Amino acid sequence: MFVSSQRRVPPELCHVEPVTTERTLCYHCGDTCREEHLVHDAKDFCCQGCKAVYGLLQESGLCDYYAISEQPGVKEKADVTELRPELFDIPEVRDRLVEYSEDGITRVTLNIPQMHCSSCIWLLENLQRVEPAIIRSRVRFSEKELSITLREEGFGLRALVELLRRIGYAPLLNRAQDKAARRGAGVPRMLYVKLGIAAFAFGNIMLFSFPEYLGADVSDRTLLRGFQFLSLVFSLPVLLFSSQEFFTSALAGIRARQVNIDQPIALGIIALFARSTADVLLETGPGYFDSLAGLVFFLLVGRWYQAYTYQALSFDRTLSDFLPLVVIRKRGEEEQAVGVGDLVQGDHIVVRDQELVPVDSVLRSGIGNIDNSFITGEPLPVRRAVGDTVRAGGRQRGAAIELEVLRPFEQSHLKRLWEEHAATSAQRRPAMPRMIDAVARRFTVAVMVISVVAGIYWAGRDADMVWPVVTAVLIVACPCALALSMPFAYGHTMRLLGSRGVFLRDAEVVERMAHVDAVVFDKTGTLTAREAYELRFMGTPLTADEQQRLRSLARNSAHPLSAVLYQGLKGEVSEAVEVEETAGQGIAGIVRGLGVRIGSADFCGGAKQHMEQGEAQVHVAVSGLYRGCFAVRKRARSGMHAAVRGMDGLAQTHLLTGDTHVDAEVSAVFDAPTMHTACSPTDKSAFVQQLQAKGLRVMMVGDGLNDAGALALSDVGMTVSETSAALTPASDAILDARSIDRLPQALRLTRAARRVVIMSLGLSLMYNVVGVSFAVSGQLTPLIAAILMPLSSVTVVGFVTLATTWSARRLWANDRS
Amino acid sequence: MNVIFLLIAASTVVAVLFLAAFTWAVRSGQFDDDRSPGVRILGDAKPAPTATPNTTTNPNA
Repeated sequence: MFVSSQRRVPPELCHVEPVTTERTLCYHCGDTCREEHLVHDAKDFCCQGCKAVYGLLQESGLCDYYAISEQPGVKEKADVTELRPELFDIPEVRDRLVEYSEDGITRVTLNIPQMHCSSCIWLLENLQRVEPAIIRSRVRFSEKELSITLREEGFGLRALVELLRRIGYAPLLNRAQDKAARRGAGVPRMLYVKLGIAAFAFGNIMLFSFPEYLGADVSDRTLLRGFQFLSLVFSLPVLLFSSQEFFTSALAGIRARQVNIDQPIALGIIALFARSTADVLLETGPGYFDSLAGLVFFLLVGRWYQAYTYQALSFDRTLSDFLPLVVIRKRGEEEQAVGVGDLVQGDHIVVRDQELVPVDSVLRSGIGNIDNSFITGEPLPVRRAVGDTVRAGGRQRGAAIELEVLRPFEQSHLKRLWEEHAATSAQRRPAMPRMIDAVARRFTVAVMVISVVAGIYWAGRDADMVWPVVTAVLIVACPCALALSMPFAYGHTMRLLGSRGVFLRDAEVVERMAHVDAVVFDKTGTLTAREAYELRFMGTPLTADEQQRLRSLARNSAHPLSAVLYQGLKGEVSEAVEVEETAGQGIAGIVRGLGVRIGSADFCGGAKQHMEQGEAQVHVAVSGLYRGCFAVRKRARSGMHAAVRGMDGLAQTHLLTGDTHVDAEVSAVFDAPTMHTACSPTDKSAFVQQLQAKGLRVMMVGDGLNDAGALALSDVGMTVSETSAALTPASDAILDARSIDRLPQALRLTRAARRVVIMSLGLSLMYNVVGVSFAVSGQLTPLIAAILMPLSSVTVVGFVTLATTWSARRLWANDRS
Repeated sequence: MNVIFLLIAASTVVAVLFLAAFTWAVRSGQFDDDRSPGVRILGDAKPAPTATPNTTTNPNA
């Protein structure tokens, strides 16, 4: 689960030089204090945001937050503030969140992906100390949910959202978290009840069977008969209630004319119960009720583990998850919130900083600074002037803009792109036969053949032995250990990967991953970071004094490139006066008596430089003198080299990018023929299919909507995500961006897990062979069955768990965690 | 020796009661979240304390 690995939110915009100063960790979020280093109350903080949260908690006497886990805080991040707090006043949004509202008392449930540790739970459950209007708050950690009961008078839903956002726990609002869809995640309650009943019957029947095993003398006849009937009674709920799902699944398999693992299991359960009941009623033996209850118990433990390894992440997305639910429509001076679907051509809408443009539209006022990285993978925001068209899916960065709707949502470019994606995913990825099904098919046939042959053999010699031998074969051949090895091996692998930042949709993905022999990487957003930039200065090097002045001025602009400059330069910030920002040109101001300008070449009096693809330029002038120009480009993730080169000998690697040119940093790790530039989303899908046509199993590693088709078609689609709240298309797996260097190891671990499953299949088949040899010779006593069955289950489960843990430890022997 | 029947009956009844208690616990949602209840106990101990002496009102808070 998204627990420990999510602790540290990485510093966003990165730096010109490696940091050499000693590492001071922020008391709140645990990041290294680099750019800013604030000291407050004898504690170190990395930014104003963290310090502010500390101050708030300290005022409310909630400093225990820092005592429970170290540096538990979540750094404030811009991209999560997707939703305007005003939205929560809109009835449509309210209805989706509010569970109960009467007499001004309201109960809401919010999804908070940032909660990750004990401190988070503690703080979120003590919110009433910060805000007296909150009556009660309760966390459901496994689902990352927070239920709050509050007095709405003077403190509404909106204020609550603002408070949560302020302390770093911004709630997420998407369709996947709808009230109706919320239930049913995790372990179903009924499974616990079934498990409890099976365990109860198993334990008690075993106790009742002890006198029989230990050879009680005949004088205790009544007692033994009593025990036998009690066992029969206790096994009834196990048969009728606890083992329901095995029968349903077996029947479904028969209807679909397919052999699955649950059929021999169902047959075994029926044979066990029929044989035991017959034995007890006809007084021919004590029956195998303990084996029956034990079998069902162990099988249910397997089912429970499968459900328990479930991830509290949503892997399925719909288009509406990415778009704002409601937009602000402007009519004259009046602003009104309306649903995205209600917009018609000619409507004017307002889109603010960090918000998505929901429909294709034309810019009417303001400066568009549109980040299209989600749809096209373009690395840097593009400028849009009044009158330009802005496509749906772009994200505004900078001041609010007003747009005129060009087409309704249903006809937008984004909707078409998404439908294309939906159409490709409907083609369904190539089927990969599950190993367990192949084994089950042969196994079932073998069991049938053995029982028939044994029956015929005994019919010729001693007709009375036919029934006991045939039932004994069916009992002992019940593939309990076989059925347990896969959920435990793959479930445990999922947990091991999850703790290292690779989150898989389900256990089947482990097997799919084990077969992968070609890995296709997307470039932008996958190998290069979404928000990290690299600065290169062209011109005479700047002095420290100049850097400080530029930095101070850059702070006053909301333009993304100014933000990059602010983060990349050094020096204490001093105040800039007479600051004037010219839209589309740059910013000018006076810092400590000298005029400073940052902006386009014309604005600063320099010449436009030739830039490489994907680079932007920022020119600077100090005290009227043109000083040079910064080239800004996306920085490759630090783990990129390890991720790509680590695949050597494991799988072939390919690079796909929408750009026309691959920058040197990335191209250095790929072989020239494996790089494919200028790929459209359709080209990417086609390329994946092309590899598959060559018989390769393909894993696609991508991040945005432009990769969605390829992700859906590949054998394993993996999305790279910087926060759990980031927008990623539907996929089989989510990779925490900071763990990208662990990808080759993850692939190795899934292969190791598959080998472990094969070994455990061998082990459990060995038990079956031993059991069957007892059965066909008519020697399978209840005692032998009672020993063999739990022994095989426990050894197989123990073996796969230890073997996968050991593999993981060996693979990550030199790892940082 | 007959007392053993009584003992068996009694022990079975007790076992069934525990099973019923377990079923009730599951149905009332006690197995839904295995992390937060353990943390919850940490917060229950003290009432909201008064602010620590060195509280400087933070304008950003």
